[in-house]
Amino acid sequence: MKVTVKSFANIRDILGSAELDLDIAAGTTIGGLFALLTQRYGAAFDRQIRDQMSGEIVPFLVMINETVYRTTTDLDVSLTQGDAVTVMIPFDGG
Amino acid sequence: MYRSDFRYKGYAGKLLRVNLTAGTFKDEPLTNELAEGYIGGAGMAARILYDELSPGIDPLSPENKVIFLTGPVVGTMIPTANRIGLYAKSPLTNSFFYSSAGGHFGPELKFAGYDGVIFEGNSPQPVYLFIDDGYVELRPAQHLWGMDTVQVQLALFEELGSEEIQIAAIGPAGEKLIRFACVICGCRALGRGGLGAVLGSKQLKAVAVRGQRSVEVPDMQRMKLFLDEVFARFNANPATAEILPRYGTPVLVNANNSLGLFGYKNWQDEFYTEAEGLSGDTMRKKIVKRDKSCFACPSRCGKLSIVGSGPYEGVRNEGPEYEDIFSLGSMCGHNDIEVVCAAERLCDDLGVDAIEAGVAIAFAMECYERGLLTLKDTDGIDLKFGRADLIIPVIEKIARRDGALGGLLAEGVKRAAEKIGNGSEYFAMHGKGLTYAGHSARGMPGFALGYATGPRGGSHHDGRPTGERSGLVPRETIEGKGEYTARINHLMILTDSLLLCHLTENIWGPLDITDLVVRSLNVATGMTLTLDEARTTAERMWNIIRAFSVREGYRREHDRLPPRFMEEPIKTGPSKGMAISRQMLDDMLDQYYDFRGWDKKTGIPTAERLKALGLEDVARDMEKYR
Repeated sequence: MKVTVKSFANIRDILGSAELDLDIAAGTTIGGLFALLTQRYGAAFDRQIRDQMSGEIVPFLVMINETVYRTTTDLDVSLTQGDAVTVMIPFDGG
Repeated sequence: MYRSDFRYKGYAGKLLRVNLTAGTFKDEPLTNELAEGYIGGAGMAARILYDELSPGIDPLSPENKVIFLTGPVVGTMIPTANRIGLYAKSPLTNSFFYSSAGGHFGPELKFAGYDGVIFEGNSPQPVYLFIDDGYVELRPAQHLWGMDTVQVQLALFEELGSEEIQIAAIGPAGEKLIRFACVICGCRALGRGGLGAVLGSKQLKAVAVRGQRSVEVPDMQRMKLFLDEVFARFNANPATAEILPRYGTPVLVNANNSLGLFGYKNWQDEFYTEAEGLSGDTMRKKIVKRDKSCFACPSRCGKLSIVGSGPYEGVRNEGPEYEDIFSLGSMCGHNDIEVVCAAERLCDDLGVDAIEAGVAIAFAMECYERGLLTLKDTDGIDLKFGRADLIIPVIEKIARRDGALGGLLAEGVKRAAEKIGNGSEYFAMHGKGLTYAGHSARGMPGFALGYATGPRGGSHHDGRPTGERSGLVPRETIEGKGEYTARINHLMILTDSLLLCHLTENIWGPLDITDLVVRSLNVATGMTLTLDEARTTAERMWNIIRAFSVREGYRREHDRLPPRFMEEPIKTGPSKGMAISRQMLDDMLDQYYDFRGWDKKTGIPTAERLKALGLEDVARDMEKYR
């Protein structure tokens, strides 16, 4: 199935564009999408989402279309055909 | 000299007290009680000003005092231990206020031999203070009066014969008592609360410091091990290792706007379809030339920028930061990052808070479009949203109190709305007199409670958006948000007393005081605080700040949000429909007061809780206000 990954800042730099169309297996979850992107883009992508000391994906938000999900609780949420997945970026404060 | 007899390392062990009326100064030993009970920075300043200021004084009168204060970790190599804090009764909020800045001034003050400087009285003529490695001199500053903040720094480099001096200075806005005048240290701002006007009222143009001393720690080997641990955490975390260094705070433009949490046109909405033009991505491509760090910080979040084209070609800036982009860009309805860059630089030069200035312009734009201000009120300016070309001329007018518009907005949006009347108060987006920063109240209930209960009102550093924005806690519910907000308050006040940077709160927090924060204090000073003791200390600080506010007349009814945040849900974008109703806010306030042991009817801390925190004297004071 096809999904579009939207991103900005460091993740956009690594994916190479603001919107990336991907063909992924049916039933792929948010966590599965991250694994796939890590496989394709390597450590450069992994460093943007995972604490390199604990090995855990850090807390940040992911939007599927206009619904917001949390990496702390929702990595097993499945994507569906045509979804636009916006990968927020882990960031402190402001 | 540092005091060798002071019990704790990390501190210089003394304060400098300057009487500007008499032109005299003297050293005051730091007491164990102040260090143990209030740590430094905001906590220590709150205790000093609670004791020394009478309730009801005019913040711009000689009765107010203003304090520069570091914290015990400042000047060590602990990452982000570099901030300087400024403290006084604010001319915007009429209560205790604190603002802090990174850079190098804080460590330099410590190296020069002082934990802080207390200024009292008013000088009969402009002066500046020079501290040179323990030597202190109050010098005439008539020749500096009228200069902008960069001119002052350059003039003092020449006058003092060195550029290895850190300077904090006010600009023309501080001299003219603009209620949101700030103080600039290097390129960093002690931005909020109008504390630059307090310096202006005292005719204190600048403070220059230079020092050669080292900050002593009790056990260097223990410190090295601690630094290894903290630097490893910084290097492992995506926020501090990857994102802050490359994009700095402007990354939040796309982050917040993607969630529909980006204030637009005076908070009429929180989703800006053209926000990409203001994003960290655009800024990095168009104007950023180099990254820069504060003292002892590996994150390099400062961005040195140069405008490359257009009417402001050649303007250089350290910034703009996210908050400036929000206030001077999106809030005013335009997406020209080069205008924001030049406008923010102008705010720093003239010495006005860029958040307050941008939001004041946005407020005036809305009043103008709704017919509450006319061309006569705006000095003939067609002050419509989207007019990027007007931002810089209006900042000039504000900072110099020029014309009807400059005079009106120089008082801040709360007082401006009171003067305009006719329902304009609805469009004045402030908490307790301070305009809201660029983080949504409507889309993050716990953070909204932080705004409502915060002693500084519109500050995004009393509560914090990070927990809800990162998904550590759900943002769709008010359940548990009373305790959530109170614990974040305590993390904030403790780090504001140590003077650690909140931008790296994923390392230090971000939801509560952590063992790592407490250990930073212990390894720097030799204290042996436990986590529970640190939490009690932070709660003591928060309560004395609340008591200060109570003395100034603040009660539960002032722990509010503006009607727009409660009555107008977000109109478009992913957070469409979100708002904080009065009932939601009241429920969260009840939770918050319950957790704190404050009277739910009045919001005044109970005698029992104050006594449990060792604040018997404050408990006695509070009896007068019940």
